[in-house]
Amino acid sequence: MRFFAPFCIPFIIGTAFLFAALAVKWGSWLYHLPRADKKLIGRNFFTLATPKAIWEVIRESLLHARIWRVNSLLGYMHTSLAFGWFLLILVGWIETTAYVGLRWVPLQGHVFFKYFAASAHLGHKPVFDFLMDLLLLFVLSGVAWAVAKRIVHRFMGMRRTTRHIVWDKLALSVLWFIFPIRLIAESITCAVHGGGGFLTGSIGTWLAGWVPRSTLYALYEPAWWVYSICLGLFFIAMPFSRYMHIFTEIPLIFLRQYKLRSGKKITSYDNFQVEACSRCGICIDPCQIQTDLGVNDIQSTYFLRDRRYHRLELSVLNNCFMCGRCEQVCPVGINLNTLRQNSRDKMRNVPNEKRYEYFTSVPVEKNSAQSKIGYFTGCMTHLTPGMKQAMERIFTATGESVWWADREGGVCCGRPLLLSGETDSARKMIDFNTRLIRESGITTLVTSCAICLKVFRDEYHLTGVELLHHSEYIERLLVKGSLKPARANDESFTYHDPCELGRGCGIYDAPRAVIASVGVLVEPEQTREMSLCCGSSLANTVIDDGQQLRVSRSAVDTLTATGAKTIVTACPLCKKALARGTSHNIRVKDLAEIVAERL
Amino acid sequence: MRRRHTSNRNSVAAIDWGYGINKARVINADVNDLRMSEAILREMPELQTCIGCGGCTATCTAGALTDFNFRMLHTLVRRGEYEGMYEQLNKCMLCGKCRLVCPRGINTRALVMLLKRKLGDN
Repeated sequence: MRFFAPFCIPFIIGTAFLFAALAVKWGSWLYHLPRADKKLIGRNFFTLATPKAIWEVIRESLLHARIWRVNSLLGYMHTSLAFGWFLLILVGWIETTAYVGLRWVPLQGHVFFKYFAASAHLGHKPVFDFLMDLLLLFVLSGVAWAVAKRIVHRFMGMRRTTRHIVWDKLALSVLWFIFPIRLIAESITCAVHGGGGFLTGSIGTWLAGWVPRSTLYALYEPAWWVYSICLGLFFIAMPFSRYMHIFTEIPLIFLRQYKLRSGKKITSYDNFQVEACSRCGICIDPCQIQTDLGVNDIQSTYFLRDRRYHRLELSVLNNCFMCGRCEQVCPVGINLNTLRQNSRDKMRNVPNEKRYEYFTSVPVEKNSAQSKIGYFTGCMTHLTPGMKQAMERIFTATGESVWWADREGGVCCGRPLLLSGETDSARKMIDFNTRLIRESGITTLVTSCAICLKVFRDEYHLTGVELLHHSEYIERLLVKGSLKPARANDESFTYHDPCELGRGCGIYDAPRAVIASVGVLVEPEQTREMSLCCGSSLANTVIDDGQQLRVSRSAVDTLTATGAKTIVTACPLCKKALARGTSHNIRVKDLAEIVAERL
Repeated sequence: MRRRHTSNRNSVAAIDWGYGINKARVINADVNDLRMSEAILREMPELQTCIGCGGCTATCTAGALTDFNFRMLHTLVRRGEYEGMYEQLNKCMLCGKCRLVCPRGINTRALVMLLKRKLGDN
């Protein structure tokens, strides 16, 4: 039995092209991985990481478990298309084997088996007819949802979906046609040769009864031609379009399990993350630059798209709060902030290497009292002296001796420069402050700035020094009993999670415990992992003052909807930003302030 | 005052008041080239709203440690005097306090980045 017919040619060309493109892409990405990354792969390959990765591939690439959590209809759509198609291939392979035994059959033999089986009069196996029809119906239902989603996306819990490029549109249209055409081709085959399950068989019988036999014969080959062309076109468009994610997410999952990570500088591993983006658009809805400012071309899906096709503009790259709300919902788990940061590094101002030489003459604050606890004020807290005074009152109340690292001002922590991609220059600040902290001999460093804390924890090498946010420090003091603020049972507070503290450092509970010790905490609608950005994030250098204010107002609206008269936050920048967006009867206070005023 | 001029253009003594906070100087329209300045203004029209209050400089983290003076820098660049500006700008730490205090809400951090692109990089 020969498994070839002329109509197979488009399919064969498409598949050959796809496999070649995949080999080139995967090959060059893997080849260009940094040596350290290659070593990680080697070290972790024969460990539990591999079976874990396989399980994750099944769960995410086939079943799309994370999308189910966003919305079940959306989840069903992705599962039916991915898992359904996979099963069609798998069961199709078993079906071929059941008919012709265990022998090598070329790829087109499996894909167009119905055609070859019918022309060779192989007889029928109703079990497979039924199974294959069931699976086809499963996939078709997914296609129907996909079409519906384009028309009414709200329906699937998405206010907006991605605007696509030409390759995506081509691949998308062809994808929509593949399965209906397959249904038609198989049904016509059944009409001519009989057989088929509840779907193709029934449609075939119906066609045989209503359509003249000569017409059916005339349509028979062309239908298979169209099916083959659709498949071929889809495979050719795939490496250039968003559908590359299908074959990129799989190696990404493996590499992630082998502990490869993106960093401050672009590496080859980033390619896997960038092309694993399916441009599903789930990141668009949480973006406040979209919801509050109506800017529609800077969201992570567009950023990754522009980066992938080498057409990234600074106006897109820099217009982002890096609040991390999109990263929180990304079903592929792409490190969106890190990728944006290393793109900024690539496209940064090339810093003058002689930069910051003046640090050598900056006086270093001595820890003459030999205190074990240090306090890093940070630039922004210097601008909100209320916080500084509150911290001073708290330190006095506990009677602990505290060394102030920068009472009269000092060198910035380096986070703002890092966020702008000036990675190497930031290193000079990090080195300066590391020396300052090391030489002081402290064992605990407290900071009231979430921005400073984030960079201390991520970038500073301060083993032996415990890095605490003031929320964690105050919580400890409360537990220990060395702070006893008067609790007002009738006063309610709402809490704004600063991005750098919550999503950035994973600190959610400490500030809440502190608030609960002085009053009643009422949670806003969007809180914790999905809390809003205040709008003044240092990561965004594109939006203007008025736009910052609009974001701030809308965040304040969410917070004041709780009815609380005091908004509490734990970051000096958020405090400043939110205060601008409030009306006169709402107070915006730092955590330290509400504690200090009750001592 | 520690602050010194970054411009080393020959300055002609104006009226001698017997005291001064800055070295006396004149604007030399024959030497100053406004094309760059105008290009910068086109990219950030909001700079026209600057009232020169100096809040940016007063709160500046780098300014507390060096002679970096953002207000002066902006004024000179707008006037078409660019010499030594890039080196000065490299003292900025981008901490963003100036943006928070600016009464006209000028995006000062973006201005630093823009000036650096125009004056030195690339």
